[in-house]
Amino acid sequence: MTAFMFSKHSALRHLLAGVAFSAAMGMAVAQADDITVYTSYEEDEIAAFLKRAKEDLPDLNVNVLRLSTGDLHARILAEADNPQHDVIWGWAVTSMIDPRIGELIEVYEPANIERVPAKFRDKDGKWFATTGYMAAFCVNKEVLEKKGLPMPTSWEDLLNPVYKGEVVMPNPASSGTGYLMVSSILQEKGEEEGWKFLQGLDKNIAQYIKSGSRPCNAASEGEFAIGASFALRAIKNIQSGYPVAMVIPAEGAGNELEANALVAASKNKDAAKRFLDWTISDNAVKGYYDWKEIVTVTGGSMPENFKEAGLPEDISSVLWDMDFAWSAENRQRILERWQRELER
Amino acid sequence: MMSAIVTTDLPRGKVSNRIRLGVLLPTIIVGIPLIVFVLYPLVQILGRSFSTRDGFGFGNYAAMLGNERFVRITYNSVDMTLTSTVLAVVLAYVFAYAIQRSTLPARGLFRMIAVLPLFAPSLVQAQGLVLLFGRNGIINRTFGLGIDIYGYWGIVIASVLYVFPYAFLILSAALAVADARLYESAQMLGASKWRAFRTVTLPATRYGIAAAVFVCFTLVITDFGNPMVIGGDYTVLASEVYNQVIGQANFEMGSVIGMVLLIPAAIAAITEKYISARQHALISEQSKPLIPRPDRTRDTLLGLVVGMISVAIVAVMAVVVFASFVHLWPYRMDFSLRHYAFDVQNGIQPLWNSIWISLMAAGVGVVVVTAAAYVVEKFASPATRLLYFLAILPAAVPGMVLGLGYILAFNNPSNPVYAIYGTLFIIAVANVYYYHAQGFLISSTSMKQISNRFDEASATLGGGRFHTFVKVTLPLMLPTIVGVAVFFFMRSMVTLSAVIFLVTPHTQVAAVSVLYLQDRGATNQAAAFSVCIVATVVVALLAARLLLNIFGYRKMPLIR
Repeated sequence: MTAFMFSKHSALRHLLAGVAFSAAMGMAVAQADDITVYTSYEEDEIAAFLKRAKEDLPDLNVNVLRLSTGDLHARILAEADNPQHDVIWGWAVTSMIDPRIGELIEVYEPANIERVPAKFRDKDGKWFATTGYMAAFCVNKEVLEKKGLPMPTSWEDLLNPVYKGEVVMPNPASSGTGYLMVSSILQEKGEEEGWKFLQGLDKNIAQYIKSGSRPCNAASEGEFAIGASFALRAIKNIQSGYPVAMVIPAEGAGNELEANALVAASKNKDAAKRFLDWTISDNAVKGYYDWKEIVTVTGGSMPENFKEAGLPEDISSVLWDMDFAWSAENRQRILERWQRELER
Repeated sequence: MMSAIVTTDLPRGKVSNRIRLGVLLPTIIVGIPLIVFVLYPLVQILGRSFSTRDGFGFGNYAAMLGNERFVRITYNSVDMTLTSTVLAVVLAYVFAYAIQRSTLPARGLFRMIAVLPLFAPSLVQAQGLVLLFGRNGIINRTFGLGIDIYGYWGIVIASVLYVFPYAFLILSAALAVADARLYESAQMLGASKWRAFRTVTLPATRYGIAAAVFVCFTLVITDFGNPMVIGGDYTVLASEVYNQVIGQANFEMGSVIGMVLLIPAAIAAITEKYISARQHALISEQSKPLIPRPDRTRDTLLGLVVGMISVAIVAVMAVVVFASFVHLWPYRMDFSLRHYAFDVQNGIQPLWNSIWISLMAAGVGVVVVTAAAYVVEKFASPATRLLYFLAILPAAVPGMVLGLGYILAFNNPSNPVYAIYGTLFIIAVANVYYYHAQGFLISSTSMKQISNRFDEASATLGGGRFHTFVKVTLPLMLPTIVGVAVFFFMRSMVTLSAVIFLVTPHTQVAAVSVLYLQDRGATNQAAAFSVCIVATVVVALLAARLLLNIFGYRKMPLIR
């Protein structure tokens, strides 16, 4: 045994060599064409988009940190003195137009920027929005039937006491989907009435969930009857075979655009710009049309299964006309009030 | 101790100075990494908790205490932790009693079931409970019930299952030793079995019970995996640290809550050390080992409890495995492998990262704790007391607090450790130091058992200290080294707490992937990832067992 393990100290030497090697491996950090991207796209969206990016930019290694919109907002501000990322990708316009964020990003207009209509671009050229998402309810038909509940059609319907403990919605402080819901309700009903509505809704809410997609997933699995979430999650879950229906709130669906920007402190701007150019390339846009209910760039059309799930071809007919500037300006105030009055 | 006496007995002068340096140097070499990787991060976090916008002060603490929500969350944490701890220790005591003091059949099998939760990340318990008892879980669907598992009781049950093996291992060790003479006397004096249990067994195991209580308390109050999955809107301190730091990037508040968590954990650890030091005095050389005699009533009752606990542990794990293999939980239960495709952006890479980290942690951990144990044993000096303290200090530090300390200490380009910041290696290092105390104690216990006479013999035959260490001590310690390596590997595969703040987009680990997948509601995929972790741990354990068996150490326990 002794001979096997420790002849001429070789085993010990190997072990030490291994440790040194591990340390060296660990030290191989960011190389030239390695960029770090912060995003709030969903995990499966990221996977689909990056697969396409790899086809076009095989030499670019994209490291992605995915956080909920609100979480990412806090993180970027906290890291402001020493930013760790090169690109912000697919992140709520409402957050992007925060002036504190504006100081951290710099003007960059990618090749073919004219593909993005001017109203979806920052007038100073600091960001451009390629995609967006809208609020929708995932309603579990099996649960409704079992419990004899009516199918809701609007936010107003959700106040009905029969839904007590059957509704889950995202926490607006961390989830972008949650914030666009709260913000659109306040815009539609006016602040005074809006807060009253949220207080009333609170009585039926079983849980405020940190993520925007989990309410839909929880409803899809039948854990709750209704999950307030976003349209694409509902469509994908219907496609997977869950007994769910997508309901677009009759008041008009709150919505949000997702924008991209170059980080001013990036140490790797050339690679970052290549990636940003790619985000409005044909291949990227094809990916958007497969995965997003709102695409600002032309070059594709809405897939059949989106329509089958109940999305109208002219999506603007069901969208609430969001005042993004108002959402952004009042974000902190609204969230503070929400946390004070409604957070559990 | 021996060397210390030798040193002072030597005539003062050149020789003694040289020896003193020779004694101190290894202590310093082994001590420096402990200072860098344990003490320094803790000092950083303490400092950060006092740093406010207008300088140094109690501002953050005042803000926390004045916040009604924080007070409520603190109360939630303590309430939930106390209930979980009491339940876990009582159940584990009965279970351990059945294993050590009864003639129940298949005790070996039950022992394995008891430690099963160690093979999985903490949140697997909550995952399984939701699948079983969720509003649309198997139980409610099958029996048409309306059980709502989310919240207080969900966290309590998940936590009890999570810490059960820790309590069981401690209590099982406490119940393993007993002096049969005491029980014979009790019987002769006409004491009933119940009375004998109350007056002999219980007092003899009180230190074990106390140790189990403290270990469980610390584990539960600092666990955030289970509360995040099953807690619903019932918020606890551990999940709040996670939200403050990951969500809001609020390091000051995160540090304050970290310090709040550190206090009970530190008190628990110190008291446990104090208490367990007294345990050994209970058995003397004249003791007669107790051999359990058959008793049908006792064994039936114990069997019932043991059976129920075992079913609970196995069911929760089994349903996770099951869910990972069905097409669409809970609507299409036909077999499918699609959740193992891992079509998320990093795919299966986090599992490889975890395996690589765990191997590094095993390698580095063995070297570090063996060296520390060796120096404490063989180079005794007043300085080794300090070394011993540093070596067991991590037992008092919750993993999240250590991880947070690492960000504050090392995410700073002027710190030399920054070179490995954001790598897999620093995650391995964090795991080594988080579990340092346990690894060190296993190593030093075994080192004590290797008689000094071997060293003396080797020295007489002309072997130097290093030669003796490599040729004599190390080979004798082989089974312990394998055990320590397995310990570090296992814990590094499943731990969430120390690593959660250290993972980056390219150093994601498997347990964190499970958390992320579960957090966004991808239940089946999260289950599949958990299964991969458990499978890896089981394979590693079997490999280590095989290795030990080949070298003839069949009796050596691997899980502790």
